[in-house]
Amino acid sequence: MSIRVLNPNAEVLNKSAALHMNINAAKGLQDVLKSNLGPKGTIKMLVGGAGDIKLTKDGNTLLKEMQIQNPTAIMIARTAVAQDDISGDGTTSTVIFIGELMKQSERYIDEGMHPRVLVDGFEIAKRATLQFLEKFKTPVVMGDQPDREILKMVARTTLRTKLYEALADQLTDIVTNAVLCIRKPEEAIDLFMVEIMHMRHKFDVDTRLVEGLVLDHGSRHPDMKRRAENCYILTCNVSLEYEKSEINAGFFYSNAAQREAMVAAERRSVDERVKKIIDLKNKVCVGGDKNFVVINQKGIDPPSLDLLARAGIVALRRAKRRNMERLVLACGGEAVNSVDDLTPNCLGWAGLVYEHVLGEEKYTFVENVKNPHSCTILIKGPNDHTIAQIKDAIRDGLRAVKNTVEDESVVLGAGAFEVAARQHLINEVKKTVKGRAQLGVEAFADALLVVPKTLAENSGLDTQDVIIALTGEHDKGNIVGLNQHSGDPIDPQMEGIFDNYSVKRQIINSGPVIASQLLLVDEVIRAGRNMRKPN
Amino acid sequence: MREIVTLQVGTYANFIGSHFWNFQGILTYTPRLVSVDFQGSLGSMSSRGTLYRNIPSGPSDVVTCPQISDSSLDLKDCVVKNVKTGNVSIHASEPRKKNLFLQSLDEDEPERVHNEPQSKVPDKDIVESLENDVQFWTDYSKVHYHPQSLYELNGQCMDSQEFNNYGIGRDAFSRGLQGEEINERLRFFIEECDHIQGIQFMVDNTGGFSGVAAEFLESIADEFTNVPVLLYAVQAPESYTNARGQKQTISLKLHDAVSFSRLSSLSKLIVPVGLPSLSRSDASRFLCIKDEKLYHSSAVYASAIHSISLPFRMKRLGPTGESCYGSGAMDVYEVIQMLAGQARQNRVTILDVAMPAPSLSGKQAAKFLLRNLQPLTPETAEDMEDLQAVESMSIHGVLGHGGHQASFSEVKDSLEAASEHAMTRPMFSHLSVTTCPLPIPLPFPSIFGNLVGEHGELLSSPNRGSLSRGSLDVESIPMAARLRSSSAILPFLENRLANLRKYGLERGALGSGLVRSWGFEKDELDDMGEVLSKMIVTLDPRSQASSDSD
Repeated sequence: MSIRVLNPNAEVLNKSAALHMNINAAKGLQDVLKSNLGPKGTIKMLVGGAGDIKLTKDGNTLLKEMQIQNPTAIMIARTAVAQDDISGDGTTSTVIFIGELMKQSERYIDEGMHPRVLVDGFEIAKRATLQFLEKFKTPVVMGDQPDREILKMVARTTLRTKLYEALADQLTDIVTNAVLCIRKPEEAIDLFMVEIMHMRHKFDVDTRLVEGLVLDHGSRHPDMKRRAENCYILTCNVSLEYEKSEINAGFFYSNAAQREAMVAAERRSVDERVKKIIDLKNKVCVGGDKNFVVINQKGIDPPSLDLLARAGIVALRRAKRRNMERLVLACGGEAVNSVDDLTPNCLGWAGLVYEHVLGEEKYTFVENVKNPHSCTILIKGPNDHTIAQIKDAIRDGLRAVKNTVEDESVVLGAGAFEVAARQHLINEVKKTVKGRAQLGVEAFADALLVVPKTLAENSGLDTQDVIIALTGEHDKGNIVGLNQHSGDPIDPQMEGIFDNYSVKRQIINSGPVIASQLLLVDEVIRAGRNMRKPN
Repeated sequence: MREIVTLQVGTYANFIGSHFWNFQGILTYTPRLVSVDFQGSLGSMSSRGTLYRNIPSGPSDVVTCPQISDSSLDLKDCVVKNVKTGNVSIHASEPRKKNLFLQSLDEDEPERVHNEPQSKVPDKDIVESLENDVQFWTDYSKVHYHPQSLYELNGQCMDSQEFNNYGIGRDAFSRGLQGEEINERLRFFIEECDHIQGIQFMVDNTGGFSGVAAEFLESIADEFTNVPVLLYAVQAPESYTNARGQKQTISLKLHDAVSFSRLSSLSKLIVPVGLPSLSRSDASRFLCIKDEKLYHSSAVYASAIHSISLPFRMKRLGPTGESCYGSGAMDVYEVIQMLAGQARQNRVTILDVAMPAPSLSGKQAAKFLLRNLQPLTPETAEDMEDLQAVESMSIHGVLGHGGHQASFSEVKDSLEAASEHAMTRPMFSHLSVTTCPLPIPLPFPSIFGNLVGEHGELLSSPNRGSLSRGSLDVESIPMAARLRSSSAILPFLENRLANLRKYGLERGALGSGLVRSWGFEKDELDDMGEVLSKMIVTLDPRSQASSDSD
């Protein structure tokens, strides 16, 4: 082999061995993830070195936590994780689709077919499927008042694949409302404006949407109010602590008195900043029923806290940078970078600000705000793994709703699209293709069926029966999906099972690309690998 | 007294950090720490820390936490108390049932606070098992960590084989929301501080962690502009021998140069730490170290860093200064200002240590001590004459005349006397002295040679028995450590600049493709070269000619 001449240390796998390594890796990864697909999919339990438990069905989480060694599997996993980064869901589907493409190809390759021909067929089938998807999708008009029901249905479809039904249904409202809350006309949805906060407290069903903000810290002064109503909110990024002037300033003192004087002068300038805030408070809070809350991104040291507390102000320091943005969106007003531009117009408003103490952790709730454009999903759960599971699910739910709003369309779920696309490929597209590339189209079409097949398998149904029933209905012209309880065909539209258009498109796009690349590999060379390991 | 937040990024940094926290001798306090390491690097420790494992997971309204009050992170109070009394408690006597140190620690946890020590298994076995079996830095950590402290980087193919260059590290920081999460952890600890004095940052200079750290530093500079960062760029001995083949040698050398240049431009003071072979260096004259064990070498570096950080944690006294326990308190800002902020503005300093420090009784004693201060910073020049050198020395637990612990004035006088006769003396030197020696806790490795006595005194004739002595034979040792801003660092800087030029900057350089794959454009590389040559010129104005060649 020529590579041996070039580098005698290289490890080489050639031709069929290389191909089979790739196929086996893809099938292996598919095997791992396929049991997690769909609402009936099972859960995986990940146990860390210290006995930490993580329960998940989320393909993305699984791929991140599993330490994958096989290079092919890593490639597939990266594609799937990229899928998640782009569209927020569909990790598991991507992996099993790639696995299935490889599996279908194996049959033909074992019969002596050249991978190149298959790959050509994939390319044709992929283009045809994408065109079909454009026709197949259900457009949704968003406009000023989006159809809440359809958003809820999409969110529910996603959430039910991650969590048990009762909890999923509860979260459906939460994620839908959260996205609608932060949505602004003519602007892209920034999901960061939904804060996700968790408390190890009560039950998972106590998870709720807070219209306003929850901060994970409290005031640091014993005399500050723990609960305040009718609050002006000052969002600022102003240092209220005594700090040395910038390093390299090159200012030196020659005796203790000078040093004291310098310290005093700097302290004074901090105090003046605090006084300006207190002045503003006194200006706006006339009468007894109004309160004033300062939420600062920079530090506030004890002397400043003292001054503020004496003036009846509640002050929080070192707020998250993102919360500065969120606060302004939730409460109104604007974030202030210098006390010189303080005016009553900078102030936001919240009906209620209170502190919740949980063990040694403190949370501050800013609630009852007017017209919020930012909100917090407060996850509760009795233990860490429940919280982690809900967090992953909420993240996907939010993405699903966001995608729907941005796509302005949805795709019928429960395997309906896959069956329809397969029938389209076999009945229409295949005939138009000349020569052996037809077989590539056929392999692609059969690979699409992996989604309904796996859904059926995970529900304990007979795969063959289900596929025959579904394709039969489709040939009659009915668009149907799989009822996971009975195994009968159902109309996904009636059941409210919808998937994201962009997720589906992304899967159809990226799956064949990676599968084709893997199929065309004829040699695997691990140069340098064994040189690095000292054995 | 003002708070310090510590950041440890990388496996070796965490090895050092683990020893560092063990010295602090605290049970019910959790350090203000954010540690970043590979997924799975925590061994048997939970990333949620150890304290919160037994919280009832039921639906109770009030979750109780064992012995943690709101001020729980106020670690320094505790340490300083120890420093002042000179009576640091050593927790080596606690029950370790099995010879696997950590397991015994875990099992005994609920009873340990209340019960009498019940040594069923001799400490000797524990020490032995530590010597042989330490694999993770958590294996010998006796400190409780806050649930927010330990962060594991996750992602595909994350091990030291793959995670070996700056580019990968930088990507890891920005992948997903990992960077944001790490920043969030830091904010959590800083929010608690009434008045933070600085950030102590240890980072693995090798591998992708320096990329992680650089990104992290950038966001710190952004978010906490006025908080000074003291950066220890640490290097494990193994990283020097790992390179095989030309391609990897180039990759390593380039990485070193790139990472040093990036890190130094992002911190106020950088201290490169880590010799290629500690066991053969002069710094380990009285020690007996196996270079292949991270557990060994990290203990030495941790001791030095501990000594250096003592002045940050001492109580500042009135203008009169001195007390009988210790004096010379300085905060992080002042140390940085003194070493890096003065006329020359050299940001790279050398770390020297004398471990154990010899006693100051006898005529030539101080001279002997100064001679024993040997660098832990690689690639430094010996006997470099530098009239503008500035140094900060921390000496603690050193014995004076008559075998008692030497006071501030005693140490100061004898050092001054010694340096009067010395050939080279620094322009400015700050001294801080405490009477409290370095405690040697049980999980400390057996790295002392047989010339070291029970209290760290240097014996004239070797001890009988085993060659190396550890926590069972040695209770505490006097230490001297020094940060030195001197032109002796020039070879270190010059090597990096030369490598950067040779492999990255020159036309047709072998590594130019490599650096591009790390995400650096040509002009960014030029900037790095500029940073390095500026540092050199700062220290050695004569070298100007060579750096302006292009």
